Amino acid sequence: MFEKLLVANRGEIAVRIIRACKELNIRTVAIFSEADASSMHVQLADEAICIGKAPANESYLRIDRIISAAEITDVDAIHPGYGFLAENAHFADVCESCNIRFIGPNSRAMNALEDKAVSRALAKKADVPTPPGSEGVVDNEQDALTVAKRIGYPVIIKAIAGGGGRGMRVAHNDISLVKGYHTARGEAEKAFGNSGVYVEKFIENPHHIEFQILGDNKGHIIHLGERDCSIQRRNQKVVEESPSPLLDNPKFKKLREKMGKAAIKIAETANYTNAGTVEFIVDPLGRYYFLEVNKRIQVEHPVTEEVTGIDLVRYQIMLAMGEPLRHSQSDIQIKGHAIECRINAEDPFDDFRPSPGRIEMYYQPGGRGVRVDSHAYAGYTIPSQYDSMIGKLITFGRDRREAMDKMSRALGEYMITGIKTTISFQQAILQDPNFRRGAYSTTFIEQLLSGARRELIEEKA
Amino acid sequence: MDLKDIKAIIDLMKKNSVTEFELEKQDFKIRLKRGPNGGAAASSEDFPALAYAPLPTGIPVAVPAPPVPAISEVEIKSPMIGTFYRAPSPEAAPYIEVGSEVSSETVVCIIEAMKVMNEIKAEAKGIITQVMLENGKPVEFGQPLFKLRPS
Repeated sequence: MFEKLLVANRGEIAVRIIRACKELNIRTVAIFSEADASSMHVQLADEAICIGKAPANESYLRIDRIISAAEITDVDAIHPGYGFLAENAHFADVCESCNIRFIGPNSRAMNALEDKAVSRALAKKADVPTPPGSEGVVDNEQDALTVAKRIGYPVIIKAIAGGGGRGMRVAHNDISLVKGYHTARGEAEKAFGNSGVYVEKFIENPHHIEFQILGDNKGHIIHLGERDCSIQRRNQKVVEESPSPLLDNPKFKKLREKMGKAAIKIAETANYTNAGTVEFIVDPLGRYYFLEVNKRIQVEHPVTEEVTGIDLVRYQIMLAMGEPLRHSQSDIQIKGHAIECRINAEDPFDDFRPSPGRIEMYYQPGGRGVRVDSHAYAGYTIPSQYDSMIGKLITFGRDRREAMDKMSRALGEYMITGIKTTISFQQAILQDPNFRRGAYSTTFIEQLLSGARRELIEEKA
Repeated sequence: MDLKDIKAIIDLMKKNSVTEFELEKQDFKIRLKRGPNGGAAASSEDFPALAYAPLPTGIPVAVPAPPVPAISEVEIKSPMIGTFYRAPSPEAAPYIEVGSEVSSETVVCIIEAMKVMNEIKAEAKGIITQVMLENGKPVEFGQPLFKLRPS
């Protein structure tokens, strides 16, 4: 059993990891930047080390400082959370060479899935369908045009090192392709330090459906069902749920089993260990295509935890200690329905402008079937240097209807003053008739917002 | 008393720089205490429904409460995380003592990180007035190492 673990992250996921450690009697070390000195994860950990100034590249991305902190506190393991260094194979290697266990996939699997282009090639090898597209990285605009001609518009240009929904451009014709190609490369270089891009057929009105996987170091891999994450705004997930209303449609009844098997096949081909997520898109005709593997615990993991009754972060720690998987595929039962709403400090009435600042009053919802994963509290000042998510609200019900009703009830209970939040926006989504019917795709929010704007304009007229 | 009243009391406390407020009635008691960041910490003995989610009032363990330096003094702070050593080796004499005169290039200590001994420079000119921690102790980013009176 690990005696001490360092959490190489911040915010709600750092709190989540610390909670799992406390339940396993593992002592915790928090690292924090100067902007996070009064953050909740710092308060909850047994020890805390300041590792630098606010900017992430002076703190949470500094491998040397994190390892130094790990050394002076003498930890056995590091959990990287999500984002930051979670999928950085070099960081995983440095941890291992310092005799510190990295809570995540082994470096071989990380390298087999090191970027989206390489992962596409692996999926093809595993006989899993991928969207038609370029063989690998597209090095110049002429090649991009050739690929687009072959597969047909619309296409999407994607950064191979992209993540969190960034580094993508859709093109509907040659002109927008050339423009998008150069913009995407520039953005990718700036955001990820890697300007490599590839081109894929853009599947219209898809569902984004991902499968949670777990693997032990004996080669056993299972999946824990799917999450539907189609409700996105500018490629950032806003609402997630399990099971997917699309896969519950009797028209697509074999799809869940097929996709689950495909997810496992990909993980096996990559020799994957620990927790991960295999992402697919499914078009309106029920054709599914592999997108990529997220080699980390994800923001929306609680949704799977609620419908399976399995603690994923605890499992990550146990698997990292060398424990075998305690569940076979037939042991995994999906019961009930869970929904998660991400709560961001943004103003939905001002184009989602970030709203950092001091939370004056904070009351969070509770009650049966309501879970809040958050680091927020009354008096906490949200720093401006990091993402705007202040928490996740998750509800669980016997069926989708109950989970939705609880979500509306819980969203209405929040009392937060001092900052703007997206709570009212989430409520609008939950009340929308198409969402309630489960009839949505990745264009849902765009349509909701343009409909809302039309109403506002009509009101003003 | 409802949440609106409590919020009003908190606002009043802030406005008048009151740190603690306690009110006891027949079957109800509330105590409000402002934390180190100006936030309010509430605890209620008889009315659990009015208790806020517990607020952090503790200061993170490894960060010492920063003492307010005398106006004429500046602090030399650690630029890295590691172990603090006062001398280049265990048998050698410390680089500096209280009273030592330093310039910006003077090496004042070693911080060892991942087996690398990093020489830390004063980056200021003056006389050392205080050594803030013991030899061999772990340090974090920004932790004060020495106090110096600039010349």
